[in-house]
Amino acid sequence: MKRVEKNRWLFLAFVLVLVVLYLLSSTNLILHDKKTEIFPISVIVEKTSDEDYEKLRKGMDRAAEEFHVDLSFITLYEPNDQTQQFQLISREISDGARAVILSPANPQEAGMGLETMVLNSPLIILGNLLPARQVKVGISIDYQEAGRLLGEAARENSSALPVYMLTEGLEYGYAQEIYDGVCQVLEGNGYSLVLHTIHSPEDCRRLIESTVYPQKQAAVLIALDEESLERAARIMEDSTVYAENIRALYGIGGTTRLLNYLDKGIIRGMAVHNWFDEGYLSIEKAVSVIQGESWEKEEITMEVYYITRDDLRKPAYEKMLYPID
Amino acid sequence: MRWGMGWAVLAVFAGSLICVLFFLHGLRSRETGNKTSIRLGIFLYRGDDTFISNVRLALEEQAKAYEQKTGIKVVLNIEDAKENQITQNSQVERLISLGYDALCVNAVDRSMAAGMIEQARAADVPVVFFNREPVEEDMRLWEKVYYVGVDARESAVLQGEIVLNAYRRDPLSIDLNGDGKVSYVLLEGESSHQDSLIRTEWSVQTLKDGRVPLEKLTGGIANWERSQASALTQQWLEEFPGEIELIISNNDDMALGAADAIERMGIMEKINIVGIDGTPQGVQGLEKGKLLGTVQSDQSEYAHAIFTIAAALACGEDPGEKLELVDEKYYWSGQKPLVRE
Repeated sequence: MKRVEKNRWLFLAFVLVLVVLYLLSSTNLILHDKKTEIFPISVIVEKTSDEDYEKLRKGMDRAAEEFHVDLSFITLYEPNDQTQQFQLISREISDGARAVILSPANPQEAGMGLETMVLNSPLIILGNLLPARQVKVGISIDYQEAGRLLGEAARENSSALPVYMLTEGLEYGYAQEIYDGVCQVLEGNGYSLVLHTIHSPEDCRRLIESTVYPQKQAAVLIALDEESLERAARIMEDSTVYAENIRALYGIGGTTRLLNYLDKGIIRGMAVHNWFDEGYLSIEKAVSVIQGESWEKEEITMEVYYITRDDLRKPAYEKMLYPID
Repeated sequence: MRWGMGWAVLAVFAGSLICVLFFLHGLRSRETGNKTSIRLGIFLYRGDDTFISNVRLALEEQAKAYEQKTGIKVVLNIEDAKENQITQNSQVERLISLGYDALCVNAVDRSMAAGMIEQARAADVPVVFFNREPVEEDMRLWEKVYYVGVDARESAVLQGEIVLNAYRRDPLSIDLNGDGKVSYVLLEGESSHQDSLIRTEWSVQTLKDGRVPLEKLTGGIANWERSQASALTQQWLEEFPGEIELIISNNDDMALGAADAIERMGIMEKINIVGIDGTPQGVQGLEKGKLLGTVQSDQSEYAHAIFTIAAALACGEDPGEKLELVDEKYYWSGQKPLVRE
């Protein structure tokens, strides 16, 4: 072989090596990576910020890592907007979500709306199971039991005091069931119950101020949702006068801000549950539905607890209320 | 001649191969164009820091406004590192591996940004740092690294001017006991944060330049936290009873912590407290008369800048066309003094 010809073959070999190296390093043509299936799952909540879902998200993130889930956490433009939730469900599924986890803004409306929607991916509900075909799992607490626990706690106050129950609206979330639970306990024990729908912080301030002016009228407050509980706590924190007339504030919730109010003694007691487990379970169930492991509808009811300030540092509750990463 | 032809064929073959490879590479790069959705990772050093928490809320609002305006879906994944750089590194790694389009990082340790930048560069995912400025050397590591913050020196000068103006109007409003000198204490943020040192230095310097007679009683690091500042202030109030006339704080949370301590101890004298950031809580403190003043950084402008740069990069656009950047990398958000009426 002549020297020039040899050089030519060497050059050709060099070019071929370069091409093979490129194909090896930058493409999947020769060596196929072991493919881990990633499950895109969307979570649609009922609030406008994800700040209040810290514990739920921690559980979801933990499960997302374990089950190879690409999680999209979606909040609303306006709080409790069920119509937007429907739009988002459709959008997420058409964008490739293999499952949607929904915390319904208005469970009744959600139940009716979902029955008429054609959905190509399964839904997991953070709340009571809904009849729609694509809803496969419901993860909830016994909301009436939560209400009963709050009612029992409120019985430490005299039945001469009116009990004001605060809510953004009984149609949102599970306020109606909590309300029923409170009524079951207190109505039969001679308490006078008054339901107040609170649309804004100002509504809440006016109600609390009414216990001081024009005449003093002590009362007990029970908040049927997190938003109302936080509004009431924030207002009571501002003035010691309110604390004299609001003999006790109870409610449902578990954000870090609410736990701080409990720790400061502004909130007397709260009904809580394990949000970390709820988040984890929701992802675990979604993946199992996607993989076809679970076909039957399933309702999971989580335990609900009533806690006071003294419980915050008990190891059993501490782990639940302040989960570590 | 035959050999010449052979070389020519080889050259054409090699050239064609190179063109094909470039074309393939070009196709991969262009995958970012005409997006219908963008995914941004937001990494916070500590989610319960008041200023950061407000920026987070403003970012969520920006994302929704952008979505409504452009029709481009925005997925924000907000991660809290809880002051742990190792946690933040793994959060960054995870979202890069999930193919996020851009990262907005409020670094736990600003001197450890290089690792995150290298990871992002390897995956070609642009990074917008905010609030905690990486060292300049790290900022120069890659052209797709940006920073959004406020000018710490400007904040400090404005804070100093709040006190200076009050002193010029009525010296006794600041020199409460009228002994001819203003006795002050200093509440400082983390020593590793670039803004702490600058805020402290220039706030005091502005007062000195304005010929306010100063006497520093003591100072301490309260790590930007209200509870730590409250504990420190209580200790100082016990150590210097009736002597403290002015509390200069590097941020509003610590300023409010000092006010908490004063309230808790039932001190009736009007000790002047000044903060920085202009958080809603700080402004509320101002309205209630707890603070003499604060320097408000426009949080919606701040969040708008972070989001605009990140969204532009995610869509493969030049953020310099959307915002006026200093040195093509930095955006300094505006700020203004707020004073108790």
